Amino acid sequence: MSAFWYYVFTLVFFLFDYFILAMGLNIQYGETGILNFAYIAFVALGAYVTGAVSMPNSVGTGQQYIFGWGIPFPFNLIMGGVAAMVLAFVVALITLRRLRTDYLAMVLISLSLVFYDIVNNYVRLFNGADGLYNVPEPMSGVFHLTLNAFVPFFALVTGAVALILWGVMSRITRSPLGRTFRAIRDDPDVAAALGKGVFRYQLTSMLIGSFYAGVGGGLLIQFGGSFNPTAWLPGETFVVFAVIIVGGVGNNVGLLMGALLVETLLIHLPAFLPNIPGHPGLIEYIDTMVVGVVLMLMLWFRPQGVVPERLRRFPQPAGELANRDGHSVAPPEQSHYVAAITTDDSEPKDAQ
Amino acid sequence: MTSFEEPAITRQGVDEAILSCEGLTKAFGGVNAVNGATFDVPRGKITALIGPNGAGKTTVVNILSGAMKSDSGSMRLGSTDITNWERYKIARLGLMRTFQLSRELSGLTVLENLLAAPKVQAGESLFNIFFRPRLLKREERQNIERATEILRTYGLYDLRDNRARELSGGQKKLLEISRGVMASPSLFLLDEPMAGVNPALIERIGGYILDMKAQGVTVLMIEHNLNIVEKICDNVIVLAEGRTLATGRLSDLRNNPEVVQAYLGEVINAGTGH
Ligand SMILES: Nc1ncnc2c1ncn2[C@@H]1O[C@H](COP(=O)(O)OP(=O)(O)O)[C@@H](O)[C@H]1O
Ligand SMILES: [Mg+2]
Repeated sequence: MSAFWYYVFTLVFFLFDYFILAMGLNIQYGETGILNFAYIAFVALGAYVTGAVSMPNSVGTGQQYIFGWGIPFPFNLIMGGVAAMVLAFVVALITLRRLRTDYLAMVLISLSLVFYDIVNNYVRLFNGADGLYNVPEPMSGVFHLTLNAFVPFFALVTGAVALILWGVMSRITRSPLGRTFRAIRDDPDVAAALGKGVFRYQLTSMLIGSFYAGVGGGLLIQFGGSFNPTAWLPGETFVVFAVIIVGGVGNNVGLLMGALLVETLLIHLPAFLPNIPGHPGLIEYIDTMVVGVVLMLMLWFRPQGVVPERLRRFPQPAGELANRDGHSVAPPEQSHYVAAITTDDSEPKDAQ
Repeated sequence: MTSFEEPAITRQGVDEAILSCEGLTKAFGGVNAVNGATFDVPRGKITALIGPNGAGKTTVVNILSGAMKSDSGSMRLGSTDITNWERYKIARLGLMRTFQLSRELSGLTVLENLLAAPKVQAGESLFNIFFRPRLLKREERQNIERATEILRTYGLYDLRDNRARELSGGQKKLLEISRGVMASPSLFLLDEPMAGVNPALIERIGGYILDMKAQGVTVLMIEHNLNIVEKICDNVIVLAEGRTLATGRLSDLRNNPEVVQAYLGEVINAGTGH
């Protein structure tokens, strides 16, 4: 296979993977209003756990890591997702109950920095700064693919996973649960006044989103066969935010668009461009700036994103059809009491 | 809509209280916003909570609905002691409230604002979403039917697919009240439901409140317009400086010198001193 197709399928892989990541962040932020600035930490944990459970026992591998159970794909991927959920549960218990959105965001940033330092320095966890490598290729026992064949193969596997996760996510966001998430996003006080246990729903949303983060991370380590701290600098969280803001917060189709525009076209495509003579690495720097500029332009001119949140219309009850005589403009039904109330415009607080 | 009924005469001490609170206090820094408020809200009646600006009325509503915890005091809803309960649990017992400045769920449509209101929905459980889709459909259909009916009554039907943030001030007030009605409250706390709306709408809202009563909803409303209070409320609680000054019928309270000085006197400047 030519290098061209190798690149194309690499881009396709990142498109689908960031679509998954965007769906996870979107349910937390776009649907429920949780400003999860630690998102990339959940992605990383998913990647590390997916890798570490699939690798053989670490003794004699020259790497240090926990687990090492030789769990095959896709079970390792699911474990990566679940690990991210466990982290989300702990983080939610610490932060969600007490903190207002803005403080929550700050605490989450700090947590992600702490988590980063722990993984980077506590080598016995996930091999420290070197990270995990030689992660077994998924389904290699079944397919025996060359590296060139593996890339398109795994891009399609990721596409299939994305499709399943999209189906699941649409079902959630279209349900009354999704509506309650959005009610909490718009005004948690109102939601609570309507009897919604805000914390419980925020926790649910955190858990769902983190599963997506973990699976997206797991696919990353399976695609590249390695994962280390340079892959998840805490700033990476903002790339995922850029994806959902550019694409359209609260709209799954928009997220795919965002993944295409930001992740594929802006972040990964330029890496394949030839270097500007005399300025190696310049493109990479410009790249990050371009993402920032695009993000600012979007927030300024089209904050709803390329594909805005859908207006959710509902089929009207059957009786409605009978009434459709051109003026469904029902005048407010007259209350029997209205006539009993008169309004004179005299001073309201007059007494005696 | 139910048939017309004269507001019943309040028999003080005989009516069963749906809500009673005793010695509620709440201080913000040095300000004693609520300072020993004690009163009963009779079941099935419309009770007005009046008092000058800053008397602590909104704070009382915040405490009763669990949005704020009182520093001391106790409150009961029906036979349940709800002191220090979390707000969503109080709501689930059937206490709804509106906010002085209307708060709509801005990104949701008008219809969705109502659909979000029923307190506990089968469709809010992940298990049901994936394993009991028929139950969900049925529940959702029933809720849409009921919401549609309420929107018709409140004259918001044509706006059902508009995002709530696009509504005018008056429409937002109506939306907030109808959203509370959708939740089938047994006690509905209304914080100045008629403030800042035009006279025609004031009349309509008054009518809706009387309708609620006819349907068995107990209403406690903060209201400055004594004309309205006179016309629709059975009972009045006067709050001043965070304390319950008096309770009873408005016509009786007009003759109470303390009340006149603290509240009514604000306007006519006719006080008798302590
Ligand atoms: N969240 C708050 N923080 C600080 N002070 C408050 C707060 N809410 C109310 N207050 C103060 O408490 C007093 C009572 O306010 P409020 O309950 O809104 O009165 P009312 O609704 O009767 O006009 C006022 O002095 C107000 O400034
Ligand atoms: Mg007030």
